[in-house]
Amino acid sequence: MARKLKVWVDHQACVGNAMCESIAAKTFRLNDDRQSEVVDPAANTEAEILEAAENCPVSAIFVEDAETGERLFP
Amino acid sequence: MPVAVQDDLFTPDVIANPYDYYGRLRHEDPVHWNQSYELWLITRHDDLVWLTRHHELFSSAVFRNDPRPAYPPIAESDLGLYDYVRSYQGDQFIQHDRPEHLEMRRVMHSYFTPKSMEAWRPFVREAVKDLLDEAEKKGSMDVMRDLATPLPVLVIAEMMGVPKAERPYIRQLAEKLLYIGRGEYDRMKPLTEGMRGMIDYVSPLVDKRIVDPGDDFISVLARGEKQGVFSRHQVLVNTSLLLLAGHETTINLLCNGTLAFTRHPEQWEALKEDPAGRAKQATEECLRYDSPVISIQRIATEDVEMRGKVLRKDDRVRWFISAANRDPDAFPNPDTFDIFRHPNQHVAFGSGTHHCLGATLARVEGQEVFKALAERFPNLRTQTDDLEYQPSITFRSLKALPVTLH
Repeated sequence: MARKLKVWVDHQACVGNAMCESIAAKTFRLNDDRQSEVVDPAANTEAEILEAAENCPVSAIFVEDAETGERLFP
Repeated sequence: MPVAVQDDLFTPDVIANPYDYYGRLRHEDPVHWNQSYELWLITRHDDLVWLTRHHELFSSAVFRNDPRPAYPPIAESDLGLYDYVRSYQGDQFIQHDRPEHLEMRRVMHSYFTPKSMEAWRPFVREAVKDLLDEAEKKGSMDVMRDLATPLPVLVIAEMMGVPKAERPYIRQLAEKLLYIGRGEYDRMKPLTEGMRGMIDYVSPLVDKRIVDPGDDFISVLARGEKQGVFSRHQVLVNTSLLLLAGHETTINLLCNGTLAFTRHPEQWEALKEDPAGRAKQATEECLRYDSPVISIQRIATEDVEMRGKVLRKDDRVRWFISAANRDPDAFPNPDTFDIFRHPNQHVAFGSGTHHCLGATLARVEGQEVFKALAERFPNLRTQTDDLEYQPSITFRSLKALPVTLH
């Protein structure tokens, strides 16, 4: 079974580029301020979530292993 | 209430100091109708962020969707050239809306991630060292000619696999392309020469990458054609765009930032105390304080109300980075250059789906330059206060920045 992830977006950094939403649409969604929010960290695969994080142009997405706290991105 | 302000955005005093003029608009009439150019001017930080994040209300397909003539006016005999400009600009990916924009951007986006741009840092550092070695021998330099221009041209040309000997030619063409944001009556001729010159220049490079792709950036665009995302003309135009955008704005960051340091000795002292540790934050403040890009245009896709005014469908809307980055509601003491400013949510790279593709590259180049200057030339001084800017409402570009190094 896939490991549980803790995923969050830093709203001081997020510019609403929305690339995360286009890569992992079930996990990230733009809110009313057009900034990215995590709606369900288990909805996309780990690979998709990491790809979304890596493609954030302002490195606003953080990913950790929810059990161990290991930082997976950045 | 309508505000009586002079309407000409190209007067020498506005070009020399956009901050007073657009600052006054931001204060007195933040959603301002400019009658001369039939254009809305947006100057507040929160309005700019809102506008750029509502891309469905404000189209980026400015050249294709704007039925009005060029502004400021151009010679009647140049209308044919303007048609060419429209078809050329119209094929740039930045002049598209979703869904096409997303599809096009995704072809290029992963090349420019923060992680992959970080891998270019050693190359940038080495290039800065070489340029500064040359300057050191002379004891003085024109920051524009000797550092700010050659560095980003070198970097983007390396990414694109453009041979060394041909880089000055790229810069020559780029200088003609910069007429896009300017006001001269006869600007269409040099502009279209630059466009046609770029297409002719990159065409064989693209032909080669289609057959024999490498790991350079033109091959990335060529792949976009194979995937059916780009037409050949779009590959050519976007190769030219990236060659231009990949260096022009960075030139302004490097010059305007260096100038800001020479005019604020206490901030220069602060950077010199810890160049490696402070270059990152300092670069962000340079981006905010004297931003490389002054303003960008959109076209309203429907009637939109902003601050009690109605922007009609198809109206031209121009948002002013230079004004938003000095907004006192977003930045305490906005006219103070402060490299310790935190938070610093400037909009030098825009915001939303069109946020600058090359932002991280520009940041890396800025950080490496300001760090190296502070480490090597603690006594850096400008030679004159008599500095001139290009007459553009798009780019904040110095014509030259002569400095002494010792």
